[in-house]
Amino acid sequence: MDPVAPPGLVGFGRWAVPLLSEQLRLPRGGARLRALAALADELHRPLRATEALNAGFLQQLKVLLEDEDPLVRAKVCEILHMLAAHASGRHALLAASFLPPLSELLEDPPCRRTVYLLLSRLSLHSSGGASLLTLLPKLMKRLPEEEEEELQVLLLSLLTCCFQVDPQAALRSDAVSLLAPKLSDGALRVRKAAAAAMMALSVPMAGKLQVCEVLPAVAALLQEDDEDAQLNASGVIMFTAVTTAGKLRCLHLDVLPVLLKLVCERHDEEQIRRRRKPLVIYALRALTMLAETPEGRRLLQEQLPLLRRRSEEEEDQDIQQVLQTAVQVVTFSP
Amino acid sequence: MDDSRMYVFSSRPRVVEDPWRPRWSPSGRTQLKPGNIMRDPRVFRGDISSQPLEFARAPLDLETSGAVGPKRVRRKFRPRTPEPVQGRKHLEVQTESFLEELSDIPVVQEIECQTDSFLDRPETPIFIPSKTGKDAETQIDEGDLFDFEEEVRPILEILVGKTLEQSLLEVMEEEELAALMAQQRAFLERRNNQLPEVHRLQEQERRRREERERRMAEQKRALEEEKEVAEKMAARALTQQQLHDLVPSVFASLRREGYFYDPVERDVETNFFPRLVDDVQRVLQKKCRARELLDEIIYEVTQRRLEELEVLQTNASDP
Repeated sequence: MDPVAPPGLVGFGRWAVPLLSEQLRLPRGGARLRALAALADELHRPLRATEALNAGFLQQLKVLLEDEDPLVRAKVCEILHMLAAHASGRHALLAASFLPPLSELLEDPPCRRTVYLLLSRLSLHSSGGASLLTLLPKLMKRLPEEEEEELQVLLLSLLTCCFQVDPQAALRSDAVSLLAPKLSDGALRVRKAAAAAMMALSVPMAGKLQVCEVLPAVAALLQEDDEDAQLNASGVIMFTAVTTAGKLRCLHLDVLPVLLKLVCERHDEEQIRRRRKPLVIYALRALTMLAETPEGRRLLQEQLPLLRRRSEEEEDQDIQQVLQTAVQVVTFSP
Repeated sequence: MDDSRMYVFSSRPRVVEDPWRPRWSPSGRTQLKPGNIMRDPRVFRGDISSQPLEFARAPLDLETSGAVGPKRVRRKFRPRTPEPVQGRKHLEVQTESFLEELSDIPVVQEIECQTDSFLDRPETPIFIPSKTGKDAETQIDEGDLFDFEEEVRPILEILVGKTLEQSLLEVMEEEELAALMAQQRAFLERRNNQLPEVHRLQEQERRRREERERRMAEQKRALEEEKEVAEKMAARALTQQQLHDLVPSVFASLRREGYFYDPVERDVETNFFPRLVDDVQRVLQKKCRARELLDEIIYEVTQRRLEELEVLQTNASDP
């Protein structure tokens, strides 16, 4: 894959990093590329990364990010990606304000994927989400233009991160209408990722009302067999059904039987149960929301023995609590 | 002979040189011409018993022949031993004990051998050619040989160890990242577990509060309406009371003003009387006009009379 044939000169031991740093300063493009390739290889060794950071590499790399050669830019992105694997690397990258040049690179085709991966690693940092917010307008602008499925999924997961930090900003820039076509996209992965983003968006009140519009697509996603898809879709329904409009819409779309089926499925293996635990909890919460309407309450009262039996059989504490809340709401009378 | 393509020799077979040829010839040809080995007098051919013995002629040097088998090397005339060098002395040694009695009739021993009828033919003994060439000895001690396995072990250990270490660290890094993401996910799930409940309760609270406020507003409005109604009723009672006295006086004044009338009377008054009056007036006017006319006539007449009188007067005065 690497078109550069001879690897760069790598010194031994402690000299590796400073020597490469010198080579990076060379004006000729070919030598620089080789040095970058060698640096990328070097950084795979675990302690070199901290060494490189201490040697003040980052400023040089920042300059190189704006180089003309696209190969150089791609290589630098890879190196940054490797640096971001460490916590200290992430911290250094955020502190050295790498985000503006990186946002320029979002437009660049060969680097784009690496930049997405890099940004998703940065979001693992404690202040990473907040710093990603500055990139939010650019990311949202890229959303309709992205063609490849993998890049779409990466971009959507980045957006989910941003939305979780501050959904209001996204709602102000009209995120729901941008995301709506992705929910009915062809690929399942894209739909799943879009549903996760919707779930993050539907946390504040204004978001709930906006997401009500796209509930039909979400209900369609709920019918899929994939567990992640079901999880995300039931999450969206759970949040949206808090509002009255959402409740009525959901009942109208007839999601109640599907949610009941999700709750009452029994599995014997411990691992499957543990994996399905969030799904069961979300579905139960959604049922609780829907049980606050008279129509929903009536439907659920018919299913009440089923719920009670389930709550007796269940071992997990959290699920039991949620089940009891649901039963309470169903049997509530004013 | 071929090149060594077919065999590998430890000592190559050599051509036996012809001893009868002089080694050096005036023609300068030093090339060894291969002589016929069967005609070579050194080679012993034939049965041992049929050979005329020529050993008596040349002294046989038995001491230098090591393992002499049935072959006996036929030697040519050897030169006599040279004179001793100065300072040395040759010693004659009798090798009696090593001498053999030579006779025409060789010692023959007859041995019969008969193989057992049931014995298998024994295996041919392995042909081991007699040793030619120089003997060389070498002894390899315990640690002399280069044992690849041992030498390579430390290098391999380092290589493998470093690789494993690096890969372990890389895997640990990846696991760290994965753990971070798993932690984020777990946190997110926990949050998402509790958050909708919070929202639901908030929403419930909000709905109830709105309901309550609405009811309170309604209640207030009802109260206000009641108050209004009460006020209205009080006002009505008051006004009724006032009006109660008001009505007869009003009626009285109205009657006084003449608002209550007899329609026939009114009709007579409004329609009949004006006409009547008009008619009367007209009649009177006519009368008046007639009288005026009369008056005018009278006036005219009197005026004329007056004029006539005046004329008469003037005429009378005039003579």
